[in-house]
Amino acid sequence: MSDFRATAPQPGPPRPYQFPHVTRKTLPNGLHIVVAENHAAPLVAARAIIRSGADHDTPEQAGLASLTSELLDEGAGSRDAVRMAEDTGRLGASIGSGADWDASYVSVDVLARNANAALEIFADVIRRPMLPAASLERLRSERLNELIQQRDEASAIAGKRFSNLLYAGGTYGNSVVGNPESVVNIKLDDVRRYYQSQYVANNTTVVVTGDIDADTIVALIERLFTDWPKKADPKPPTIKPAKFEKSSIYLIDRPTAVQSEIRVGHLGVPRATEDYFPLTVMNALLGGVFNSRINLNLREKHGYTYGARSAFAMRRQAGPFVVSAPVRNEVTLEAVSEVLSELRRIRTGDVDAQELGDTKAYLAGVFPATVQTASDIAGRLLDMDLYGLPHDYFDKYRETITAVSKDDVERVAKKYIDPDRMIIVIVGNVKQIQEPIGTLGYPVQHLDIDGNALPVA
Amino acid sequence: MLSIDEYRLDNGLGVVLNEDHSAPLVAINLWYHVGSKNERPGRTGFAHLFEHMLFSGSQHVENNEHFRYVQSVGGVLNGTTFFDRTNYFETLPSNYLALGLWLESDRMGFFLPALTQEKLDIQREVVKEERRQRYDNVPYGTAFERLLHLAFDPDYSYHWPTIGSMDDLGAASLDDIRQFFSTWYRPNNCVLTIVGDFAPAEAKELVAKYFSDIAPGDKFPHFDLQRKPLGGERREQFASPVQLPRIYRLYHLPKMGEPGWVHADLLSTVLASDKASRFEKALVLEQQIATDVAAYVLPTESTGMLLMQATAKEGISIDQLERAIDDQIARVAKDGVTEDELNRARTRAEVDFAHQLENYDARGDLIGMLATYFGDARMVDRWLEPYQRATSSDLAEAARQYLVPENRVTSLFVPEAA
Repeated sequence: MSDFRATAPQPGPPRPYQFPHVTRKTLPNGLHIVVAENHAAPLVAARAIIRSGADHDTPEQAGLASLTSELLDEGAGSRDAVRMAEDTGRLGASIGSGADWDASYVSVDVLARNANAALEIFADVIRRPMLPAASLERLRSERLNELIQQRDEASAIAGKRFSNLLYAGGTYGNSVVGNPESVVNIKLDDVRRYYQSQYVANNTTVVVTGDIDADTIVALIERLFTDWPKKADPKPPTIKPAKFEKSSIYLIDRPTAVQSEIRVGHLGVPRATEDYFPLTVMNALLGGVFNSRINLNLREKHGYTYGARSAFAMRRQAGPFVVSAPVRNEVTLEAVSEVLSELRRIRTGDVDAQELGDTKAYLAGVFPATVQTASDIAGRLLDMDLYGLPHDYFDKYRETITAVSKDDVERVAKKYIDPDRMIIVIVGNVKQIQEPIGTLGYPVQHLDIDGNALPVA
Repeated sequence: MLSIDEYRLDNGLGVVLNEDHSAPLVAINLWYHVGSKNERPGRTGFAHLFEHMLFSGSQHVENNEHFRYVQSVGGVLNGTTFFDRTNYFETLPSNYLALGLWLESDRMGFFLPALTQEKLDIQREVVKEERRQRYDNVPYGTAFERLLHLAFDPDYSYHWPTIGSMDDLGAASLDDIRQFFSTWYRPNNCVLTIVGDFAPAEAKELVAKYFSDIAPGDKFPHFDLQRKPLGGERREQFASPVQLPRIYRLYHLPKMGEPGWVHADLLSTVLASDKASRFEKALVLEQQIATDVAAYVLPTESTGMLLMQATAKEGISIDQLERAIDDQIARVAKDGVTEDELNRARTRAEVDFAHQLENYDARGDLIGMLATYFGDARMVDRWLEPYQRATSSDLAEAARQYLVPENRVTSLFVPEAA
């Protein structure tokens, strides 16, 4: 056996990485333009972000932001939906639109040689959508069908019930796509009103990246958007999370289930938290990456699951902290117990230097691999804009991660994770799991898949 | 034209280097020419279970350390298994090329000494959970498996899906694992592709250092798969816990890369891609009887497949949906496609291809595939040529030849009676 196999080879000198140069301009109407060149491939990505998402929906009309966004490419400017698909198809472009909690999006990905023509259509979709009544009815009906299908998807049920309990049915407490009752409440006038008040220049950022000339593209975007009116800045309603004085278990029965979908968590933090970096490191170590404690414990040590993870969903307002794992029915109690014990352990300061060093090195080093494409770069620039991150954010990312200490990890674990106030949602075969799970000693509530309380079986 | 240097070590390892300094990264991708196709009945799911085992350490790499070595320097990694191949890949900061090659060569040459029953037992459970999560606990999760059972006879090893059956997973023994490794995981059954920021002379030296002393395998068992004609459409209706009826179809095609496969690929874009495509326009926008439709070809080596699916809206019968689909297919077969439809489909193929080359990981995967299936990595520069050559009559001919009842299997998923 040759010696060189015995130990890992040493790295060569690191080669410099530079995030692409970014050009920014704010128009008099308040529209942000953000442009970055990347000539690695003959492709261009353009994104518009409207800084209002499902967080603006009322519970009675949950799904309004997302239905509005889907209506945008159902005809705009002089093109109906089919004509738009034909014209973009000829250009090698695909247009998409959608909404999440914090924002609504329009995207176009296109061959670089056709970028200008595609951007004209992109501007029509954002500024001159037809919002046709017939399309709203069709999309509503598709949405209702989608919601019907989710009634058989254990992970969708678990996610919805968890959010609904945590946010007491208010903002963030319904699904982005709404529910059957709210979706039928949405009238064309509501869509028009939502579009008029939220899709305004001062609430919008346009990002273009890829094989472009930055100055030319800035001038083009300026021409396409300069006469778009400015209006009042929209403000989302404030979240009103429920208070949980002790951990509680919620069981939702799915008699045919061969796995339990488990969610364990509570309220998290907003993206603007001053503890963003320590939290990112702590969560990566706890359950954010493959080699994290929760995944190694549940998957590699016990073989309970194909994958378990933890996440802080950091939104404009405080999103949830949640651990999720699908496990086979027989080990539901064991899996929940292991999750809870990892949540307790991370708060004790029991973190060794190598584990912390590896986690930080991963987070600091992985960045270039995640921003290879025009679309990746656009996504990062959108986030930066949406959450008001400083312009040197990515340049300082590596050193800020590296500066996180063992004490920081312990401090944020103690501050933001409370193992005694967990919402534990399990969607599975209740007959099989309720007795073992009862031994945890927490109150157990049975719910139907719509969240209605059921008497104990 | 991409810069491609393709060569072979004396032990048979295929090597492809694609130098590109746009980002300070290297993507390493190993394609082993073995997949679920090489399994036998009673031992299905084996190639994929084996893929899991290859992450559990080798002689100089402790259990769980493979992931740790890669992640702790900012790398990303994974592996995948399909009918015809298994691949392992990592993207690393470019100054860690040697680390990636050390890890991959250790598990290619020195896997067996680290194999234990305990590791097998854990990964067997993980794979069973993967099957539950992806197939058994989700609506329509077993659709592809059902199509394969219908479309291929039991002696044709596309008859079962890569994940395998629960019983077979339970039966896999340590000896099976040893046997499988010794048979298939040899340098002469593998292509190593490196894409990215490296100096070619140094990369060649490192590849030789880490891989040239690994012994080649014996002659590989010959897999002569002959598909018998279906002898008429095979159909089934399956009542399952789903809310909406869905139709699944598989049409047999020539294998990937053949003109007929390329024409069917273009045809699938004409049928189901955007709002102007035939199925979507007719079934979703106009008749509003379907919530979604899809049609696409699979990149398979031994024989080709076109998959099709559509979900009926609430209150729409599966029969009505199926008639509407067949009506659209009949129109294409009778009247062909327009030049504009053909051009849009070609342009989409061009864009999709450009996106695949855009990042190192996906590009390495594509190059590895071409080198493995066609013995020619440089095909990457010619891949789109048959798409450019295709005519509208080729697409009409593909519809008439392949999209016919005697060439298809159909599985209808319907809700269980309430």
